[in-house]
Amino acid sequence: MTTLRVRDLSKTYGSGEDAVHAVRGVSFESAPGEFLGLVGPSGSGKTTLLAMIGGLLTPTSGSIDVNGLEIGQLSGRQQAAYRRDRIGYVFQSNNLLPYLTARENLMVVRAIGAKGRGAAGQRADQLLEELGLTKRRNALATELSGGERQRVAIARALMNDPDLVLVDEPTASLDSARGKQVVKSLIEEVKGRGKLGIMVTHDLAMAELADRVLEMHDGELTRLREGVA
Amino acid sequence: MGRGRRRHLRTYYGAAIWSRPAVVGAGRPDVAAEVFVIGLLEIRRRKVQFALITLVVTLISYLVLMINGLGVGLNEAAGSALRSFDADAIAYSDQAGLSVIRSELSAEVAGGIGEAAGAEESAPLGYVAANYRDSDGVVDSAAFLGFEPGTIAEPKVTGGRALEPGEDDGILADKTFLRASGLDVGDRVEVSVRLVRREFTIVGEIDEGQFFFQPAVYITRTAWQELKYGASGADVPFASVVLLKGDDLPGKRGEGFEAVSKSTAFANIEGVSGQQSTVTSLRVFGYVIGALVVGVFFYVLTLQKVPQIGVLKAIGASNFYVFRQVLGQVVVLAAIGIAVSVPLAWATYRALLQLPDAVPIAFTTGTYVTTCVALMVTAVIGALFSGRQVIKTDPIIALGQQQ
Repeated sequence: MTTLRVRDLSKTYGSGEDAVHAVRGVSFESAPGEFLGLVGPSGSGKTTLLAMIGGLLTPTSGSIDVNGLEIGQLSGRQQAAYRRDRIGYVFQSNNLLPYLTARENLMVVRAIGAKGRGAAGQRADQLLEELGLTKRRNALATELSGGERQRVAIARALMNDPDLVLVDEPTASLDSARGKQVVKSLIEEVKGRGKLGIMVTHDLAMAELADRVLEMHDGELTRLREGVA
Repeated sequence: MGRGRRRHLRTYYGAAIWSRPAVVGAGRPDVAAEVFVIGLLEIRRRKVQFALITLVVTLISYLVLMINGLGVGLNEAAGSALRSFDADAIAYSDQAGLSVIRSELSAEVAGGIGEAAGAEESAPLGYVAANYRDSDGVVDSAAFLGFEPGTIAEPKVTGGRALEPGEDDGILADKTFLRASGLDVGDRVEVSVRLVRREFTIVGEIDEGQFFFQPAVYITRTAWQELKYGASGADVPFASVVLLKGDDLPGKRGEGFEAVSKSTAFANIEGVSGQQSTVTSLRVFGYVIGALVVGVFFYVLTLQKVPQIGVLKAIGASNFYVFRQVLGQVVVLAAIGIAVSVPLAWATYRALLQLPDAVPIAFTTGTYVTTCVALMVTAVIGALFSGRQVIKTDPIIALGQQQ
């Protein structure tokens, strides 16, 4: 079970009068197996917070502890290894490699050296089956519908059996009915595996599908409330 | 190998995926049973784009091969006969500045060079550029080399017969001479130098190449004296140079002579150094432009793929992994481009040889291998441009944020 402790986390871009405080003194803890929603208006710092937890950005101050590993102290190479082995990302625009098939997009995770359960091909086939994509496994990313692409992205995020699944606006390119379906299956997949999930979204209806919802405003955590999951 | 395994391999090679059995090794917590190369898959799936890049590589490779072939051809024309001499050094008059044209050795000096330099064998050789009439009666010129039969200066006869000592009206003609003149063994040929005119009979064919950009023709040394000076004997120079065979001869100097290696002698052929620097410049420009074109093409391609590189890095791919994909693509495309250009260059070379006015072009296995290796290295250097962009790409762009 993954635990996450964020303590007094800040991120500042620039310095002096031009300094932009993207995240200011954010602290929270997650319970094992929890799925968190992260909401807030554009520019509130939620994606920056997600990037710091995911080892894509180094905090200016504060600490992020994932299962005892202090993320803020990692070197560039260690950050890459952390992302590869312990993080599963689902990006806003799914960001699949367009010249690869659905299955190959999953295989990439192992090709870059990530660990995971079982042989890569079997694991990819299993995940695609669980997400109802078996028939589309050999379709190029460009041939998939928006919903299918997002489900492939979810499967890719689970390919390395990560401790933490980070999701950035997963429904941005989907209509609300399909978006809700995708988020539900995402939460189901993450929680079903005992992973910790954090989802950034503009959509309050989507956020409330999570266990708890963190609201951000001007870089600060302003509210923490229960979801409906 | 079982049928299933064979089918597995066929499937994946067919899809341009490199497949290999799992290797569970140190440092790799779980290595995939199916390892595949993204860079190669991209080539397969974006055929048109990569075919165009391959075409450019092919054309550059073809251009550089042709430049090198012309360079080698020019060198052959400049003095392949000199390179063919069965000698370790060549002795010139110390007043000649290593010019075969200006070098004149008296019988006394020429006769003493071998002993003075410590050579095992020596042979005098005369040179004169003379005009002749070809089979159509057209005047052309050739390099006439005077030698003494039975010495190391004697060329190897490939057709007809050798010259006998004292056979002053016979000549051994290089195949390039026969081709250019339309004459053949047994034909008579009229030769003139200034007011001196002589008739010779072609008695044999040789394959020694050219000298001073002209076909080489061998005559006896006394015939050479008469052709160049209008007389033979002690009153005229005995030879232009002396060929020497033995150890440590280059650099030897003595009374009236200096000896140099064949490569130094070649480099001192009038016009050769300028020609070589021109050809070398063309080659270098070819390689530099090749590296730049390949580099720019892949750099632009890499720029187009920055979002995808960002995603790969965001999910944990190292810079080295991403760069390896680019490098693999460059190596594969360069290999294809070079492989296509070699038969093209060879076909062009064969076609040029058929032209009535021979183009000085020559290809050797060495030319091909050196050029292909240099082009591959050049392409890899070009790929380094992309490496910089790979390192510069911040994975944060995968989250839609600016770098």
